[in-house]
Amino acid sequence: MASGSPHRALRAGRGGTVFRRALSEHRLVLGGWFAGLGLYCAAMLAVFPTIHGNRAFAKLVESYPDAFRSMFAVADFTTGPGYLRGEIFSLMGPILVVLLALLWGSDLTAGEEERHTIDLLLANPVSRRRVVGEKWAAMAVGVTAVTSVFAIVPLAGNPIVHLGVGVARLLGVVVATAFTALLFGTLALAVAAATGRRGLARGVAAALAVASYLVSSLADLVSFLRPVRPLSPWYQAIGVDPLTHGFSWRLLIVVGLTAVLVAVSLATFERRDLAVS
Amino acid sequence: MSPVGTALAGQREARARFTPGAPGAPVIALRNVTKHYRSGGGIDDVTLEVHPGEVFGFLGPNGAGKTTTIRLLVDLIRPDRGELSIFGLDPRRDGIAVRRRIGYLPGDLVLYEKMTAGELLLHFARLRGGPGSPEIEALAEQFALDLRTPIAALSKGNKQKVGFLQAVMGTPELLVLDEPTTGLDPLVQHQAHELLRAVAGSGRTVFLSSHFLSEVQQVADRVAMIKAGRVVAVESVAGLRSRSVHLVDVRTVERLEPEAFSRLPGVGALQATDFSAHFEFAGPLDPLVRELSRLALADLSIREPDLEDVFLSYYDGHDDTAAPSPALGRAGSDGER
Repeated sequence: MASGSPHRALRAGRGGTVFRRALSEHRLVLGGWFAGLGLYCAAMLAVFPTIHGNRAFAKLVESYPDAFRSMFAVADFTTGPGYLRGEIFSLMGPILVVLLALLWGSDLTAGEEERHTIDLLLANPVSRRRVVGEKWAAMAVGVTAVTSVFAIVPLAGNPIVHLGVGVARLLGVVVATAFTALLFGTLALAVAAATGRRGLARGVAAALAVASYLVSSLADLVSFLRPVRPLSPWYQAIGVDPLTHGFSWRLLIVVGLTAVLVAVSLATFERRDLAVS
Repeated sequence: MSPVGTALAGQREARARFTPGAPGAPVIALRNVTKHYRSGGGIDDVTLEVHPGEVFGFLGPNGAGKTTTIRLLVDLIRPDRGELSIFGLDPRRDGIAVRRRIGYLPGDLVLYEKMTAGELLLHFARLRGGPGSPEIEALAEQFALDLRTPIAALSKGNKQKVGFLQAVMGTPELLVLDEPTTGLDPLVQHQAHELLRAVAGSGRTVFLSSHFLSEVQQVADRVAMIKAGRVVAVESVAGLRSRSVHLVDVRTVERLEPEAFSRLPGVGALQATDFSAHFEFAGPLDPLVRELSRLALADLSIREPDLEDVFLSYYDGHDDTAAPSPALGRAGSDGER
């Protein structure tokens, strides 16, 4: 076994290796999510012309109970922005990308621990911080890429179905959705990094995602929820519809929370005994 | 222990010559290292030194603490108490510098199933900053491994081969191998042993665990035995051998006189019948062979007992620890709990 140039071996490991690997191993999954959500959007858009400006339908919707309307963000379906909000951005879209993110986040370190591949990975001359950091960055890129389908399909369909939505506002709500998903993905990562347990991480992140959605959507009706509503990241990011009201600086709260959770994940993972079952 | 600063400064040069740290300084040093798990098990007060150029065997039954010790060396877990240094550095604080010089094979080897063998080796090579594809291909050829096969399609033995190759590629100064030849067929095992001997011959260091002393004695210079989390013995393989006796079986065509053997110095545990004798013999074989040449032999066997027995019997003698377990090793306790 000939040693090559020892100086070549001295060179630090190439940065981004973990990042690229994490994205490439998820490429099929991401493609699947992108295609699936794209089809969902396309199907929704195809229906829009039938209710666009339909007064009878608007009346029907107005007759829904308030609780139902709040919970499912039933608004004015007869306009483009109202329709997109009701069908995509209030619930279905965010919930699906939050799901993607929390599955990914919970698997990021704990998956390798549970599958026992973490030993070989971390025995390399790479810091745990770098591994978690690069894998998190891959998740951020992947989740954002999937979420972008919610802008791409409506923009592509706009000339046909005439949604009447501004590009900036559409991008704003897509970014807000992606950041919400990343927050819950990072929450799952934080639990997983601290405990090594994927199931627990998923449970905690999913429970908090649902709770914060309900707080955000029901606070209009339930007065005792109103004081706690600002605590819901869901409310801060997408609760006040960015599609009609435009970008809000409140999104930075979500970004800040995510940053804190990333820092917590890096710190706890650094300290732990790994893959000890 | 050399100061960390000096060790770091000398690292670049040391690496090129494969002489880690200060001359004579141990490559691995554990002092009173204790690690317990909440679920039980772990190691207690383990003290060990492994020197440059040494092949060090770490022997013990499953669950004795071999893997715990090894995972401490690569900083996957952290000690509760005690001091740990590799190349004079702290495996945690200077983890990257330490692991850059280590090739590691986990005992519980799981590879990324979706990659091919070649992709996996290249992926780890990138993380380490070397080696390049030519060296990987040469290694794979030497061990008859097809780099294009997906890991998921490889046999257990071939997966182990991939694990072994990723540990030795890039010629690291220290190999830390947890049961490296498990699952390899005898031919490849032999190849792996040869490679380990070559590694040690070039001045690099090998730390390998096994639950077979018969394996360790083929490659190791020194052996430590760990039992229930404690190192109960550290001994050189040569020293163990020199202490060993021969087991002699004699069958004759003519009636034999047991006194012919019993008066020979070095004979013990003699059992004789009219036409056969069985005994232990210590010391140089010459007087024995002379005595045997006077007999009309039908059959003769002179063999060394298992080092395992020697190891255990030796430490029975000056044993101040708990009673030894006879269940170590091949016929061992693994599946019998």
